[in-house]
Order: sequence, then C-alpha cells, then structure tokens
Amino acid sequence: MAESGSGTADKSVQVKLVLLGEAAVGKSSIVLRFVSNEFQANKEPTIGAAFLTQKCRLEDRVLRYEIWDTAGQERFHSLAPMYYRNAQAAVVVYDVTKASSLEKAKSWVKELQRQANPNIVIALAGNKLDLVQPSASSSGATSTPESEDEADDATATPGEAAAAGDQPESLRQVPRDEAEAYAKEAGLLFFETSAKTGDGVVEIFTEIAKKIPIEHILASSRGTGRPGAAGRTGGAQEGGVNLEENAAKSKDACNC
Amino acid sequence: MSDTHFNVIVLGTGLTESIAAAALSKAGFKVAHLDQNPYYGGDEASLTLDELIQWVDSNTTNEAHGKSAFHAQTAKFTSISHSGDLLPNSRQYSISLWPSIIPSTGPLISSLIGSGVSRYGGYKLLERIAVFSSGQVRNVPGSKEDVFKNKDLSLLEKRRLMRFLMFASGEFEGKPELEGNESSPFSEFLRAKFSLKDDVVEAVTYALAFCTSSADPTLPALHRIRRYLVSSGRYGASPFLIGQYGGAGEIAQGFCRASAVHGGVYILGRKIAAVSDSSDSSENPRLSVELEDLEDKLTCDLLVLSPNYVPSNLRSAAVTVSSDSERVNDDSPASVARCIAIFDGPIILPYSPAQPPAAAGEATEGDAASTESESHSKVDTAVLVFPPGSIEGGNATVAATVLLTGEGTMSSPTGKCIAYISIPALASDTSAETLLQPYLRATLASITQPGPQSVPLFSLFYLHHPPASPTSSSPPKLLVTPNASNLLPESMDSATKNAEAVFWEALKVLQSDGQEGGKAESFWPPLETQDEDEEGW
Repeated sequence: MAESGSGTADKSVQVKLVLLGEAAVGKSSIVLRFVSNEFQANKEPTIGAAFLTQKCRLEDRVLRYEIWDTAGQERFHSLAPMYYRNAQAAVVVYDVTKASSLEKAKSWVKELQRQANPNIVIALAGNKLDLVQPSASSSGATSTPESEDEADDATATPGEAAAAGDQPESLRQVPRDEAEAYAKEAGLLFFETSAKTGDGVVEIFTEIAKKIPIEHILASSRGTGRPGAAGRTGGAQEGGVNLEENAAKSKDACNC
Repeated sequence: MSDTHFNVIVLGTGLTESIAAAALSKAGFKVAHLDQNPYYGGDEASLTLDELIQWVDSNTTNEAHGKSAFHAQTAKFTSISHSGDLLPNSRQYSISLWPSIIPSTGPLISSLIGSGVSRYGGYKLLERIAVFSSGQVRNVPGSKEDVFKNKDLSLLEKRRLMRFLMFASGEFEGKPELEGNESSPFSEFLRAKFSLKDDVVEAVTYALAFCTSSADPTLPALHRIRRYLVSSGRYGASPFLIGQYGGAGEIAQGFCRASAVHGGVYILGRKIAAVSDSSDSSENPRLSVELEDLEDKLTCDLLVLSPNYVPSNLRSAAVTVSSDSERVNDDSPASVARCIAIFDGPIILPYSPAQPPAAAGEATEGDAASTESESHSKVDTAVLVFPPGSIEGGNATVAATVLLTGEGTMSSPTGKCIAYISIPALASDTSAETLLQPYLRATLASITQPGPQSVPLFSLFYLHHPPASPTSSSPPKLLVTPNASNLLPESMDSATKNAEAVFWEALKVLQSDGQEGGKAESFWPPLETQDEDEEGW
C-alpha cells in the first residue's frame, strides 16, 4: 500500500483498452499483430481469455495493456456497460475500403463519450491500408500467429481476401484527409494501419501510451478505484479482494 | 448449422440464465441469448439512477411487456412509489434490483473462479453485520474472536455462545442436541439447547443465520451458519463479499461476456414477437423465436428461459428445472417488499469489538479514525438486520434486512451511499412504502450523523412478486430456470446452483437429440490460464 517512494519506473501501470468498430474491420487482427509481433518469444495468449495483455515500454515507464475485444457483442449493440467500465483507452477501428464503417466508428466514439470514463484516450484507426497501397507492401507476415484466444471474435473477417484489386487506390472509400479531420475535431488520435503488414499498428499503442495520464491512474488506483478491470491489483486496495489469488493460496494451504 | 439455428436459445439475462448460457457456450454448444430489455440482468439488473427512474416509469405504466409473446404475466412489480428527483452524476450509480452478499465459499464464488469471470469484476469484503436491538445498533459477534472481545456479554454468556459456535461449525448432524429438533424453530432450539439469552438468540437467529421469522426451522439455519463460519477467513475476517458496481447485475454481465467469448450471440432490447413449436413441419429445428425488427426467425433445439419469458402458447411444454438445493425449496420465493434509498454518507456504526480503534484502519486511516468518537467508526459496507418487532410500526413477525453500500463499492458517486431494505411481504401487504418507511427512518437515524442526512436524497419502494414456475409432465422443450432464494446471503448462490441444474438438464436434452459439438464433464472445464504476471520483459 505504501508504494509512493518506489516511483513508477519499475512498476508497470495497468491500462484497460477496449476495441470498438464495425464487424470485420480487423479489430482482433490489430490486437494480434500488436501482441504477437512484439512478443514472438512470449507464451501464447491465454486460451479462452476474454482479453489479451501486452506490455508497452515507453521511455522510463511500462504500461501493461489489458486489451478487451468485443467478443461479437457489438453486432446487435449488446455491449455491456461492464465493457466500457474503467477503460482508460479505446481503439475505434474502421475499414478504409468501406465508407459506412467510418460512420459506424463515429457512433462508437459517441457511445464512448456517453458511457466511458471522461478522460479516456481514444484512437481512431483506419485499417486495411494494405488494400489501398501499391503492392510493394505485400511482404509482411500474412497470417497472424495461432492464438486460440480469438475464438473471441465471432466476427472474424471473412471478406478480406476478396478485395485484392489491380488499382489499389481505387478501393479506398475513406480519404485520409476526411477521417483525419474528423479525428482532429473530435480530439482523437488518428492512424491508418494494416494489421496484415503491421503498418501503423505499434504506433497506435505507443501514442496512446504517451497520452495516458499515468500519474492520474496511479493516484486514483491508490484511492478507491481499481486500475483496469480486474481485481488483480485489488489486493492492494482497501478491502478489495482478488478471488483467484486467494483461492489459489487456500488450495496450496490444503496440500501440505 | 445455419446462421440462425442454435442448439440453445436462452431468454432472459438474469443471473441464473447468464451463468447457464456461459456454461453451455463453454461446453461447445451454439447459444443465442436474448433479452427484451435494453440492459443486462433482467429483474436482477444493476441500473444507473436514470435507468432506474425509467424502470419505475415503465413498470408503473405497465408497458414493460407491451405487445409481446408474454403478455399474460401478472404484474411483477406493484405498489411502486418514489420520491426525490434525478440526482447529479446519475450515471455513476449502479443500483441493484437484487441486492445480495456472497458467502466466500460456495457455488457462486466457485463458478466465478471456474469460469474466469472473477477477472472481470471487483469484490470487496463486507465490513460489518449489525443488529438493531432495544433501540440501538449492536455488532453481531460473528466469530469466536468477536465473542472473545465482546464487552456486552458476560463471561457465562460468552461461554455459551462459544459452545454454540463450536457446535455449528462442526459436524452437527447426528449430535444429540439436534436429534428430533431438525425442524423445530431455530430460536427455541438456541434457547433450549444452548441456554442463550434473548438478545443473543435474536442476533444469532436473524443476523448470523439470516432467518426471516422465529418459526424458521433449525437444520437449514444451522447449515447456513456453518457455511458462513467456514467462509470467514478465506478472503479476510468477514465471511461475505460484495460485488462492485451493483453486484448481481454486473456479475450477470460478466457471465454473458464469457458466453460471448465462446461464441454466444447476444441480442438485447428487441421485443420477442412470438415463440413457436415448429417441430411438426420438420424433424429439426424444433422451436423458433421471432424478434421484432429482425427478418429471420431464430431456431433452436432447446429453449432455456427465465419464468418471465414462458410464452403463453407453450406453457404446457415448459418445465421448471429443480435444483436439489434444500434451501431453495425451503424458502420458495414469496413476494418481497423492497426499498432503495440514496443518502449522504458516511455510514457510521459502533466499533466492532474485534477491531479496536488502534488496529482498525491501516496506518493512513489512523488519523481519520482518531478524530471520530470513541465508540463509532465509518464503514463502507454493512448489513443491518431488524429482528421482528424491533421497531415501532415495523413488522412483528418477520425480520427486515438492510444492505448498506458506500462509494468504495463503486456503485455510487463520491460521498453517496445506498441502503437496500427488504422484508418478506404477505398477501395482505399492499403498500411497500407503509411497510418499509419505519425501517428506512430507523436505519438513517442510526447510521448517519443527526441532521439533514437522515432524510434520503432519493427513495423508491416497491413490491416484487416473482413469477409462477410452470410444471409439465411431458418431455420438456422449454427449460424454465427456477426462482432463486431471496435471503440476502443465499440469493446468488441459489441462482448458481439453479444454473448448474439447468445446465445438466439442457445437456441431457441436447445429447438425447444426438447433437454433436457440445459435451461436458464438468460445469466449468478447467481454465488453461497462464500467470500473466510472470511475463518476462
């Protein structure tokens, strides 16, 4: 509980990040690109877990992203309030080859502004950039590493392969300027990305990391709140309980 | 399987249905989960204050079920009255329609851990249980340590109470004290077999065993006490936990997410226009569900539904799954009168004898504690029990329970607290407000500093009548989830047990159909987790 002196340098700050966007724009792929690219050597993501975690080092500080995928609950607009709860960051994804997906993204941004923490850092990401770029960029790893975690995404991108036309730029339906102008006006970070080639993906997370008010999170988590969603850090919180940790302990205790 | 065909369609997102949906999805079945409300949790939802006011409006005008397949239901919520306007920061409230506390050992906690849903939410220990007796609030000596340090009890009384606690925490089955007294009134049993004096009997009966009347039978009461005694120490001194962000409704959302993660499809906020049996037209699909504004009918092999969703045309094909829980059958839910009141904190209670001021808070809390009066302390969560006849104007035969939650449960904005009062209602009780107003007054007068705080900022009273559970002798096509217990510490555990019973029953039906895909050896298959904290850098 008395962690004030030790500073934030070696303590990673947990940040809950939620993904939003129309089905099949590549939400899960962006996360997998981010998580696995950075951590090839790492263990596979937890099977059946509803969120992935990934650390992000930024100068002197380390953020631990807890990334929540929609699990398909966005399809009929049935995302639970729990999903937005305590999210400190959001990545709202649209598809640069599909104009309607930007409109959908805008409505998600509105929803976030209504439901989520007022200080939430929101990034807008126009994905599938590879489809509108000259073929030079076809080098990167195509398939994301096997990660069973994404039974998670019931909306797993079907139509992606279909759209490999000859004149890439003609596939673009959302001009970069237009989306960027909207993002600026709404106070969002803006990126165009390709989960397929990896372009722009890591940047989303590092730019978000720069913008997250870490000191604020640390201060508030020391008080009443719990960082991120999980009660995992809750042990340090007054009266807070981590169901799993203590359960494990008591299991061990029986094994003597 | 086509996009609109499911193994199971679950109707209603109450806790029982949500747990069952998660278990069925995890077992590999294709599940669709529907709710006509735009929010999760059904009658067990946790709502923001503005949503609660909308809920009041829709239940008073009785348009809640509009034109849908379930219009034949009788009114579930009656005698609704509220005072106070929408408060500032109304969206920061998470108000439970089904207040409950969770024993640290039991079906719900096991399911939360077993399913991984525990990671989605936060939990806090219940700080205090107190009983209102002879005009004042007293702490309940709930553990041996409490008894030892209690200053109100004489040495003889301490020894007697200690003897009872030893008895209740052990293997009391077959002990001579119990023989022949299993169903005799618990309070008399305590007097006759353990010579406890009246105020101790009262505390044990209502605040340790959570009996609702002096006639409640001994054996179930003893089972509950043993479970609570065993629960204490698992996560801390208190046997009970409180779910943050409004408890049951939030936990239901967690199970729904777990179901979605395993492929469950969620559709909320759409009226169900019709449910029909289509098994004559073809072998398989057997049942279909039509939603407003959705072109395609959804079809399924089995429907699992809350009693709120039993369609009038298929009532004879619906069977209520029975869980073998003795408790649930004992107190088959009758009507409950409820009050929800928001007031300015803090909640102040007498010190627990087990937590003397010096050791009460952490070092940082020390200063705050010492500025308070000698004998009282601030708490964030507490249960206050009113035994029958404990206040003027109150009920003389049944006990009322009050759950108090402060800002630390993340269910209200800073400085605001919520009191949930509930009491079993009889058919003759027609006004929830008349029934509960004396308890609200007594609660606020005894837990807040005198002054304007003793008037609530917002209060809501209503009677809740659980829907009838249908029974059918024909082979079931519709499995109805049973109503859960209404006892504060039992409700969510009984919902969990019911969900497990529904799960196994559903499995039986689906497997007899030769459905491939789903199978299960346990309610929750083992989680293949990694300890993320060990990730290297």
